[in-house]
Amino acid sequence: MKTDDLIEALSRKLEPAPPPKTGGPLAAALAAGLGVALILLVTFIGMRPDIGTAMMPVMMKAGFSALFSALAIPLTMRLARPGPKGGRMLQILVALGVASLAIAAAALWGEKPEARMHAWMGGGFPWCLVLIPLLATPTAIGLVMLVRTLAPTRLTTAGAAIGAASGGVGAMVYAMYCPVDSVAFVTTWYALAIGFCAAIGAVVASRFLRW
Amino acid sequence: MAVDEGELKRLLRAGLAGDAAAHRAFLALAATALRAYLRSRLRGAPDDVEDILQETLIAVHTKRDTYDPSYPASAWILAIAKYRLIDHVRRLKRRGVAVELDDAEGELSVEGGAEAGTAKRDVARLLEKLPAKQQAAIRLVKLEDRSIREAAAATGLTESDVKISIHRGLKTLMKVVAEEHDAS
Repeated sequence: MKTDDLIEALSRKLEPAPPPKTGGPLAAALAAGLGVALILLVTFIGMRPDIGTAMMPVMMKAGFSALFSALAIPLTMRLARPGPKGGRMLQILVALGVASLAIAAAALWGEKPEARMHAWMGGGFPWCLVLIPLLATPTAIGLVMLVRTLAPTRLTTAGAAIGAASGGVGAMVYAMYCPVDSVAFVTTWYALAIGFCAAIGAVVASRFLRW
Repeated sequence: MAVDEGELKRLLRAGLAGDAAAHRAFLALAATALRAYLRSRLRGAPDDVEDILQETLIAVHTKRDTYDPSYPASAWILAIAKYRLIDHVRRLKRRGVAVELDDAEGELSVEGGAEAGTAKRDVARLLEKLPAKQQAAIRLVKLEDRSIREAAAATGLTESDVKISIHRGLKTLMKVVAEEHDAS
């Protein structure tokens, strides 16, 4: 078939093509991801026992995590369509990660030397590196399903954005369990866990975005 | 000569609103620019140009609703062409064929893109690989120029079913064209 004939065929009986509705599906994917992560948390991990009196640090940690999602979600939706790279948004997101680590360093600087290790590591292995990605998975699945319906052309970056967006959601939920409230701990390990989610997204989620 | 962004965008938007003549003109202008682009990228394989171009045009057509009018239409079609090209190269690599893709960012130009080459794969014949419903809908409406209503009567489908079948069918067709192309 000649290209001119193909063009002719594609233009025949043309229907108007209104922009896809993405607001509703996006809200649904995020709500479902958040809901499933909450159920997973309550069922398998449990809330921190003092959640009633620790609302303040929990909200601070959830808010910090939400910041990453707030930047990564619009970036994801931008990368879901062919066009510019979304460079500015990507830069702000990376800057937020770097700023988090700088805050951690500053907070540790202010600690007494003997208390530094505990403030940084929270007195054990930072389980958030494992649990945040797990709690992020439901959101990531929903976002991949949504982005697939559009036309992403930079799959690795789009996958990373999905990872960061869902990592933020996972971290919000994880904050309800996480017993460590030190600033250095949260800004280091939450940021690294969300970065880890972005890396997994770049490698794994991107594979499911092909069209 | 760089592609006329204003004209490309105007035609694309008119096509999105349902203007078939504008859409035809948009695809023709896009084809000229993208053919020139693909020729400059696929120096080593000029025979592949027309096939990837047709695959890209089907992609541009089926995904046109994702166009965001706040961006240049030329950047939008170029992003899709690059994506199809990278997809093509990725599949070739998997089959062990070494391909080098010139990665330089180029401006979309219409120079040297007017003359059509020959496609190796016949898109119309590849329709046979589609599910019967999609095949019939595309054949009747897009190739034989029958109305949606006539196609619905001929196939026993509802009119909206015919439209959905065409849309889904074209998406499947794009994938089939890509796969057949690589198998050759």
